[in-house]
Amino acid sequence: MKRAFFAVCLVVLGAAWAQFTPRNPECIAPAGAGGGWDFTCRSVAQVMQDLRLVPQPIKTTNVTGGGGGVAYANVVTQRSDDANLIVAASPATTVRLAQGQYSRFTERDVRWLGAVAADFGLVAVKADAPWKTMQELVAAWKADPSKIAVGGGSAVGGQDHMKVLLLGRAAGIEPRAIKYVPFDGGGEALTSLLGGFVQVFAGDASELRAQVQSGTVRVLGVMSPRRLGGVYASVPTLKELGYNVEWVVWRGFYVPKNMPPQAYEFWVRALREVERSPEWARVREQNALGQFFMAGAEFQVFIDRQVNQFRNLSRELGIIR
Amino acid sequence: MTDRIVGALFFLLAVGYALEASRMQVGFLSDPLGPRPFPYIIAVLVGLSALWLLFKPDPEPDWPPRRFWPVLGLVLLSLVAYAYLIVPLGFIVTTTLEMTLLAVLFGARWWQGLGGALAFTLGIYLLFTQGLGVSLPAGRIFG
Amino acid sequence: MDILQALLNGFGVALEPLNLLLVVLGCLVGTLIGVLPGIGPISGVALLVPLTFALKMPPESAIILLAGIYYGAMYGGSTTSILLNIPGETSSVVTALDGHKLAKQGQAGPALAMAAWGSFIAGTLSVVGLMTLGPLLAQWAIRFGPAEYFALMVFGFSTLSALAGKNLFKALIATGFGLMLATVGQDPQSGISRYTFGFLQLEDGMDFLVVAIGLFAVSEVLMLLEEKTPGAVRAQVGRIYLSLRDFMASLLTILRSSVLGFLIGVLPGAGASIASFVAYTTEKRLLGAKARFGEGDLRGVAAPESANNAAAGGAMIPLLTLGLPGSGTTAIMLGALISLGVTPGPQMFQKNPEVVWGLIASMYVGNAVLLLLNLPLVGLFVRLLAVPSWFLIPAVLAISFIGVYAVNNNPFDLLLMAVFGLVGYLMRKLEFPLAPVLLGLVLGYLMEINLRRAMTISNGDVGYLFSSPIAIALWVLAALSLFAPALIARFRKQGLGGDDEL
Repeated sequence: MKRAFFAVCLVVLGAAWAQFTPRNPECIAPAGAGGGWDFTCRSVAQVMQDLRLVPQPIKTTNVTGGGGGVAYANVVTQRSDDANLIVAASPATTVRLAQGQYSRFTERDVRWLGAVAADFGLVAVKADAPWKTMQELVAAWKADPSKIAVGGGSAVGGQDHMKVLLLGRAAGIEPRAIKYVPFDGGGEALTSLLGGFVQVFAGDASELRAQVQSGTVRVLGVMSPRRLGGVYASVPTLKELGYNVEWVVWRGFYVPKNMPPQAYEFWVRALREVERSPEWARVREQNALGQFFMAGAEFQVFIDRQVNQFRNLSRELGIIR
Repeated sequence: MTDRIVGALFFLLAVGYALEASRMQVGFLSDPLGPRPFPYIIAVLVGLSALWLLFKPDPEPDWPPRRFWPVLGLVLLSLVAYAYLIVPLGFIVTTTLEMTLLAVLFGARWWQGLGGALAFTLGIYLLFTQGLGVSLPAGRIFG
Repeated sequence: MDILQALLNGFGVALEPLNLLLVVLGCLVGTLIGVLPGIGPISGVALLVPLTFALKMPPESAIILLAGIYYGAMYGGSTTSILLNIPGETSSVVTALDGHKLAKQGQAGPALAMAAWGSFIAGTLSVVGLMTLGPLLAQWAIRFGPAEYFALMVFGFSTLSALAGKNLFKALIATGFGLMLATVGQDPQSGISRYTFGFLQLEDGMDFLVVAIGLFAVSEVLMLLEEKTPGAVRAQVGRIYLSLRDFMASLLTILRSSVLGFLIGVLPGAGASIASFVAYTTEKRLLGAKARFGEGDLRGVAAPESANNAAAGGAMIPLLTLGLPGSGTTAIMLGALISLGVTPGPQMFQKNPEVVWGLIASMYVGNAVLLLLNLPLVGLFVRLLAVPSWFLIPAVLAISFIGVYAVNNNPFDLLLMAVFGLVGYLMRKLEFPLAPVLLGLVLGYLMEINLRRAMTISNGDVGYLFSSPIAIALWVLAALSLFAPALIARFRKQGLGGDDEL
């Protein structure tokens, strides 16, 4: 009898799970075509379609503006119970949430789904720069911070700036003394490094592969928990060097806060399938992204902690009051 | 006279623009120049040119006949309504209506305008969404 | 490696049936995207990237297709600018100034043909430049730092009077208004928001396209509505063919603008819009009274259209030789190449010669295809003017709405567009020139941000702005461009400038 009851329960549960199939699924990329969020949407959508996880192709919509804030506000205020919507996110989202740049909205106004890949921060100099190692750079930097300009692809207070400030803090350089020059994206910052206008480049591992291969830049340290593979195999992590700095540029999603539970479960399972597939491994490989997976409740906790950490950090570094 | 009014308005705009710049709160992490000087320079440029206009106006412009103003108002109002309604009503409905209105204002019969507008809107909707992969609002009331 | 041999191998790649098909396809899609107002090459290229993966194309085929869309869009952009005074592409805004005047005089056909020929010559020249001078120019381009960009922007503004119209002060106000618009949004150097008044939609700044469509397209429709008799002021079908004499008269303009556009295109961060502005203003001032710029001169079409095509060719240089993207569109191409297993950069010429030279050869082919495609289209496009206004004008406006909406997928931009439509209408009535607003918007942001970058790097030392030969050369150019006309006029009055008497 008991067994039969259990079986019934399981069937009912299974039915409840199986009940949800997305209709006209959509992925919002909160920035323009060609950017990181756009890539997250399009590549995951493609793999989900190849694996037949979704009955129809997932449509990618680029809702740009306010560094993702326009999309965030739109999801929170107008589509808070949409079951067919996922939105691309990354630390660029959590940094801005932590600094209160999405007007009145907080990380609690959406539900966090999961992350499927990661890029990692790094610090590089030109190949013919006088500094061969991170220690040498730090020594020169400490001696006279006004002689070293750091270029990055984000605004003041954004990801690339935070990386530099964190490194500075770990190395004992006063944040106000650090000269950070913001550019419109990593490409422009890199151009400026090669032209010798800035001395140090702060960016992501995937941005620099071509330059590392051709030997025009020297990467002094990566901000990953373990050493990276490929062209970065010989580059030490900052942790190895004694600077406690990590910057994981996870690529993931959030969903509307009041999405029905079955739908949320559906998307979490779909992300797990993506992660397990060889197709996804190939996409990561092609785009120089590292493995990083987290989903559901675990990811929710991760985000809460990250936003808090960023908030404290931004206060401490003087980015917000 | 018109130019004098316009000059005065631009002068006020420049003053307001500069005032807003002076109120900007800057954290201690900023560049040597800061966010204010550039707006100040612009405000001076616009302010001085506006004063010139105030004192040396051009001859009166030839304004359109009085009965054009309601037409202008109607078109602008319809564009504002278009912006507010495109998401709830969808691209096809709003664009057809807007095109029909313009067609009638350009001298078409309403059925001519409506027919042309509907056919054209459907055509470009398909071209852009299916052919070019641009996403356009389908209309929430239908979804 | 011998360039000719490499190029021959490149043609071997480009003329393979699949690649030839892709060149034609890329040019067709590019032309279509160019003709449609508001839909730019970025969206076109981004759209076809997944297709190249899905069809498992080899990298040379993929880049041949994507590049075809990019320079193809530069060809098509002039069409609606000329016929309807509605810019098809941000880089074709200036084309409307003379192009549409010509169309009203029944010269739409010659204007369109001139745009096509200018584009073809400039496009072809830029490929020659890319092929022979590529690596050299790439080294020159990275020597452009914040100080050099700032000086370049000052030079851009120094040519302003060419866009001024009757009253210089109205032009100054219009420029200042454009500069004000350029300061809206998050200030990257301090992280704070300026002039956004709490609108998240304004954080990223005013979009050039939204402002341009509002100021030009919407206000044009309002002007047309004001004229009570529909069709009376509209452009005429008129002549279709471009005469050899007109073509020859513009040849020097095309050549100069090609070189200028190409050099600006090579610089990462400048681009086709700036190239078209600078080419137009430079030509107008060089030709002076010998041309009727602003009243409908074919050279006013030839200059910007040559410059924007040459810029598109130039933009390929940093991408191919250094692996650095100089514009949004080339950034997408860079991403696509990397995903296909080709790393653009210095060794690409050795490691993947089939990609580099295949692309270069395909660009020669593509420019010829575009000319053959666009010249016959001239007749067709011109006949569009015979379509009754009640259909044609709302239809073109509807397509502009798509362009404006698709920029951010946000109806807020449609509101902005309506506001700028009214502003544009009033400005026209009051005889304020519109183009300086866009000049201020385009150059203003780059001017401020590069000045501030320079000041950060130099710890506030103004001398840094004059510290490199390139920067000094640009400052001299700017000074010449500002003061030379006045000086020349004075010499002439005193009878010292003998040119006129001869």
